[in-house]
Amino acid sequence: MRRFRELVGVATAGLTARKVRTLLIMLGPILGVSAIVAAIGINESSKGHLKAKLQELGTDLIVVNASAGLGFGQDPVIEAAAVARVGRLPDVMAVTGTRQLSDIVTVPFAGAEDYYRAFPVPVIATGPELPDTLEVSMVSGRFLNAFDEASGARVAVIGRDLADEYGYLAGEARTIELNGLEYGVVGVLDWVLLEPSMDSAVFLTFASAVADWDLDDPDPSRLYVRAPTNTAMVAKEIPTVVSLGGPDGANASVPTDLLDAQAQVDESLNNLTKMMGGLALIVGGVGIANVMSISVIQRSSEIGIRRALGHSRGTIAVQFLFEALVVGVFGGILGAMVGAGVVWGVASQRGYTMVLSVAGLAGWALVSVGVAVVAGLYPSSKAARLEPLETLRLG
Amino acid sequence: MTDPSSTEGVPVGEVVLALEGVSRVYGTEVEVRALDDVTLDIRAGEFLSIVGPSGSGKSTMLGLLGVLDLPTEGAIRVRGTDVTRLADAERSRLRGEAVGFVFQQFHLIPHLTALGNVETALLYRGLSTRERRSRALAALEQVDLGARHDHRPVQMSGGEQQRVAIARAISTDPGVVLADEPTGALDSRNAENVIQIFADLQSPERAVCIVTHDLHVAHSAQRKISMLDGRIVADEALRDGRVVSEGDVVGSGS
Repeated sequence: MRRFRELVGVATAGLTARKVRTLLIMLGPILGVSAIVAAIGINESSKGHLKAKLQELGTDLIVVNASAGLGFGQDPVIEAAAVARVGRLPDVMAVTGTRQLSDIVTVPFAGAEDYYRAFPVPVIATGPELPDTLEVSMVSGRFLNAFDEASGARVAVIGRDLADEYGYLAGEARTIELNGLEYGVVGVLDWVLLEPSMDSAVFLTFASAVADWDLDDPDPSRLYVRAPTNTAMVAKEIPTVVSLGGPDGANASVPTDLLDAQAQVDESLNNLTKMMGGLALIVGGVGIANVMSISVIQRSSEIGIRRALGHSRGTIAVQFLFEALVVGVFGGILGAMVGAGVVWGVASQRGYTMVLSVAGLAGWALVSVGVAVVAGLYPSSKAARLEPLETLRLG
Repeated sequence: MTDPSSTEGVPVGEVVLALEGVSRVYGTEVEVRALDDVTLDIRAGEFLSIVGPSGSGKSTMLGLLGVLDLPTEGAIRVRGTDVTRLADAERSRLRGEAVGFVFQQFHLIPHLTALGNVETALLYRGLSTRERRSRALAALEQVDLGARHDHRPVQMSGGEQQRVAIARAISTDPGVVLADEPTGALDSRNAENVIQIFADLQSPERAVCIVTHDLHVAHSAQRKISMLDGRIVADEALRDGRVVSEGDVVGSGS
């Protein structure tokens, strides 16, 4: 124990005597460990964030877009019969069609016409089941219902962002002007995470779309399909079910798959960062070996003196190994701290919850200690092999 | 002035360091026989000087006496133990315990204070931090530098640095203090001072051995060993700087 303390004392005295050099040696482990810790921490935090987002969105929603068939000059649509076929598939719980109407200028309040002509509000015709299918609730009021659909009444539901712009108060009797036609606002739909464009949209029934906006048929161009089981298989079947050899085509996709793919990309990017961190650690190790080898040459007279004073080869070797050890320990701790700081900064900037394991930090700090000690082996043995008379020169 | 009579009365004791038929050959292709079959006993209480021209082998002999080097042939006995047969760890321990070294160029460790330098000789001996410190301070007191213990070598004069080196050499209470041209890098006043310290170091338990070019320094001793071409050519007892008897030169020429 006494010997251990003495070795630590000698090593720290040697290191503090050359502060800049010591700092430079430490830079390797610091950079390496901080890069790895940051890469892992950011990866874990963002993965946690994506997972939470995926859970919120649900991974069982399929989006089906009509694709151009043989009919030219017409927007592709999915016929009502095809929608019914999709609804009858065994795993499908809910289906709702939407169709975005074009050339409608929405004026939420007087005097805003120029602005909304330049930045038109999307007007979407849809069915009463849309909130159920998207699993989105109402902020206030109600959604379009079967009575609206049957009567063709001029009622509209607006997205939450549009409601904010429009200054809508819950329960207030207001109308919204679409190309001069007054529609009564009956409710506000909450944010739709998967379709942010819906947040500033106006929703109408297909009946009023056909009556007021010369739509030929109440056929949707897009379907939202909720299939909690066998989601991927259902998504694959849908195009066939829609077309059934007919002219109408459709593409089906699961939007959350994209997020999953994004997570995968993030992962491979982070693996790259991890590898670069590992490389930095190795380069840092080479740096330690390099600088310490030079240091051994510069301190050869000190080594000779110590040998003359009775320090054995083994003691000299251990002394230099201890210097490497101290570099590794402090480099590792500082690196872990810097890395954790980077993770904290990125997480708070992107609004993630910081995910960082203390065991992981300690582990990477230990790796840095290992690298430093291995790097110190060569210079230490070189120091131990120095003959005292080579450096002391008698007479 | 050095007063050799002040150390006259120290009785000569047991052999603390001995060379037995020691030769040292450098190089493999071209062999240089720096030391040729030398036998020498150094006894406790002795104050001896080793003189000789450059290349006569006195530095080689000093390195061997200090166990900093190993002979090609022969034995080096430290208190009777042949160190050439020991492993490095054991030999290093014995070197640190039995021999104190003083160099011409002082050889202090620049980043350590005077105290730190002296303490370096006391490391790894199982001493507590306090014991180590108090022994190092006592050694510094002995060379009159107790008040300068926290100064670094660059803050001290040459004479002071050499006194720190002497304190370091005696801090372990070795049986023999070996000095290599200890006054070579000093002016005459500091040299006097250092030689006086060496004379005072002599005790019934300790021998002092100085390698020197300086005849004045050599004649402060009570025994003078003269070397030439790797051999001891004269081994004389001195009193007040004059030869009183010529000893047997063992091994020379055999």
